[in-house]
Amino acid sequence: MKLEDFGTFVIFTALYAAGTLGLPKFSLLAYQVKVGEIPTAFVAIFGYPAVLGLTLGQFIANLGVEASPIAMVSPVISFVGLLIVYQLRKVSTLAGCIAYIILTSAWLTYLLPITSGVSTADAAISAFLGQTIAVMIGYGAYLIANRMRATLEPPQIEQTAQH
Amino acid sequence: MGTDTGTSPTHAEDKTPEYLEHSAWPVLIAMAIGVAMVGLFLLVKGFILPAAILMMLSFGAVLAGFLYSDTRNWRRAVSESPGRTPPGTNLGPFPVDISLTIQLIILTEILLFGGAFAVYFAIRLQFPVWPPAGAPILDDSIARIQTLVLISSSVLVEWAIWQLKRGNQRAFKYGLIGTTLLGCLFPILQFGFEWPHLIFNKILTPTSGFFGATFFLLTGIHGAHVVAGVIAYTYTDIRAFMGQYSPKNYGFAEATATYWHFVHIIWLLLFALLWQGSRLLG
Repeated sequence: MKLEDFGTFVIFTALYAAGTLGLPKFSLLAYQVKVGEIPTAFVAIFGYPAVLGLTLGQFIANLGVEASPIAMVSPVISFVGLLIVYQLRKVSTLAGCIAYIILTSAWLTYLLPITSGVSTADAAISAFLGQTIAVMIGYGAYLIANRMRATLEPPQIEQTAQH
Repeated sequence: MGTDTGTSPTHAEDKTPEYLEHSAWPVLIAMAIGVAMVGLFLLVKGFILPAAILMMLSFGAVLAGFLYSDTRNWRRAVSESPGRTPPGTNLGPFPVDISLTIQLIILTEILLFGGAFAVYFAIRLQFPVWPPAGAPILDDSIARIQTLVLISSSVLVEWAIWQLKRGNQRAFKYGLIGTTLLGCLFPILQFGFEWPHLIFNKILTPTSGFFGATFFLLTGIHGAHVVAGVIAYTYTDIRAFMGQYSPKNYGFAEATATYWHFVHIIWLLLFALLWQGSRLLG
């Protein structure tokens, strides 16, 4: 990651961490739908800085909630999922998002019974629905942003900045 | 290069460089800070008071000497700084000097905050329950607004620099000014509302136990860095209004933004640990 991408990295970190910790929470059965998952699809536009930013954001958000140490593995799972979204961006961002939902939902199905004491069936349903809602809202926003992108693309200027 | 502001490289090379190469001031100031810290320790402990005061004053004297000798060059340094890179040099978005400088600054900040967070966790792990018994559950209303302010400022400065890259100077200047104003709002909320509310209502004070001490230590250090960021942005604004940035010449603005983003990340950690996450290790 280049130093000039640091801003993108931090903004995605903030979107996840502050979106999860700072905004009103809404729960679906056993799982709290995370606003921070919404920008997932934007990884296809912003690349590795967004992947790393969302991963760090999830780590910070997990520091701020009551969770068992095993929950700190979640950012690693998300990181793998985000990499899949990024790698599949040229094929289909939607496919990447679906893969992300499946991967993270599977992990949460394993995790939630340990941390919340809910049944595996409840965990599976709530995690899958929660992740699907959050990621698909973001995918809708991604489609809009992607259409606007062509008109907002900066002119190709030789990058020789100083001072 | 220098043609952006009408200053030719030849003209810039003829002048004394604004860098003070091999200056003794950094070493002197570092030594004076060390002496002042010893003086502060003696002062707090009540040992050898005259020597302690003298040590503190010596730091002030060195700082005054530095400001007197150096500020005379600042105006010229600012007005002439574009154009010091030889024509045709492609140094990317950051020139070597600014890039290295900001990386070193970020590294020292990581060490500083790493130490501060290490102290926090070392203390926290000593307690079976955190925050310790009697510590209040903090209202995070102001902290949420501060978080929103920092996110907005980070997005705004990125937008401003992006506009500059597109050649839109007007939007760039407005974006920078907006970022600076948002930056000003953060310490106002912290030192003008949050801290007085906690201290004067005796909800939490620096002397009310380990939680209070670590809270004010961490938020205090961070707040000081935000103030430093606002000063850096003010300087960046001045240079922007002097027309010193262009689509090819924005490294300093981006370096300031990088520092600001780092301060933002630290805030997210503080927000998670101090306001939201009081029970993770408990």
